[in-house]
Amino acid sequence: MPEQTTGHTTGHITTRARSRLRLPDTPRPDLPDQVVMPLLDRIVRESLDEDYQVVAARKAQIRRRPGGRPRGRQAGRPLARNRPPRPPSRLGRPRQVAAAVMAVFGVLVSIAAVQTSRNAPEANASRASLVEQVESRSAEVARLQERLERMRTSTTDLRAALAQATEDEQALGARIQRLEARTGLAAVTGPGLRITVDDAPDGDVTQQVRDSDLAALVDGLWNAGAEAISVNGKRLTNLTAFDNVGPAIHIGITPLVPPYTILAVGDPDTLAADLLESTFGQHWYSLVDSLGFVFDSKPADSLSLPAARPRRLRAVRLLDADPDVNRPGQEGPVSAP
Amino acid sequence: MIAALGLLLGIVLGVILQPDVPAGLEPYLPIAVVAALDAVFGGLRAYLDGIFDDKVFVVSFVSNVVIAAAIVYLGDQLGVGGQLSTGVIVVLGIRIFSNVAAIRRHLFHA
Repeated sequence: MPEQTTGHTTGHITTRARSRLRLPDTPRPDLPDQVVMPLLDRIVRESLDEDYQVVAARKAQIRRRPGGRPRGRQAGRPLARNRPPRPPSRLGRPRQVAAAVMAVFGVLVSIAAVQTSRNAPEANASRASLVEQVESRSAEVARLQERLERMRTSTTDLRAALAQATEDEQALGARIQRLEARTGLAAVTGPGLRITVDDAPDGDVTQQVRDSDLAALVDGLWNAGAEAISVNGKRLTNLTAFDNVGPAIHIGITPLVPPYTILAVGDPDTLAADLLESTFGQHWYSLVDSLGFVFDSKPADSLSLPAARPRRLRAVRLLDADPDVNRPGQEGPVSAP
Repeated sequence: MIAALGLLLGIVLGVILQPDVPAGLEPYLPIAVVAALDAVFGGLRAYLDGIFDDKVFVVSFVSNVVIAAAIVYLGDQLGVGGQLSTGVIVVLGIRIFSNVAAIRRHLFHA
């Protein structure tokens, strides 16, 4: 009785309810075992082959009715239902048969063991080689990662260098542009002075404008801060020279025809005044005054000066090789011959 | 005793001859051995129970081995060979344990 204190009746009811709930304990007789019994219970209970019991029971039955023929059907024993019973075996035979089967079993076991132990070195070897491969591969991976890191660093460095180089290139390009504008190798547009010069009207030969006069004016303009100068559409570079060939003035080998139109790009507000203050400018003005040249100077908002024809390079020196040799006079004003 | 001698003889034969198992049958050998072990322990228990019968022993041995191998083969064909062989080994293992327990009760009366 599970509950003794509550009394006889309640305990009885509980037991009945429990037994009604527990199905396997009260199997219905018409259901086979595999329906009413849990699988593992069944496996444990029938761990011995049923056939042994069946055969033993049949033998016992034959022994009980010596000489009589066994019944054809035996109710309740499904496995032996249609099998005619065997005569009782003699004592020696089961042992021999069992020994033979046991020998087969022994061969099986030893074959399996031999096979497994024969395969073991291969399995171990393959595992060892796999482990070796894994180790070497991971070492390689580590090496590659290190290389990747190095390359990433160098990429960063190179990128910085590239940025620096691009910056330098831009700076140098700007400097080149500035130098080209100053030296006359690039076309220039900007405000400045438009100057017209001509020989003195009704003057004699001495009152004509000569190369040195124009050179004085141009040098004065350079000194006054002109950035680019052209004479009659010919751009002046730092190598341009004025020459007199007979009465005509030449720039290089190109003759000029008066009147001379001089375009000077610079600050139009200060250029004229600075020209007046410079030595060459004063010299020019005194020439104008004494010889009676036609001279007209007007500020202009937008002057377009063409580029000079590039001259062939005759000698090149590295800029940093010897700065003292290369520096002097290269960016300075045009010097007249 | 003659059965034990037979077992010994079989083991010695197998170790000496070392026959090569065909590669196709190799995966089924261990499971066949376990099935045979179940049949052997069943036979031993029946012997101790006094109801041993040679024919039943032979039939149970052969059918155990063949069915276990066939189940695993079928599982291999279906792609569940590993799971099926696990199931077979679990069932056979339970049977072996309970048979051995019965044998122990016979031998030690405990």
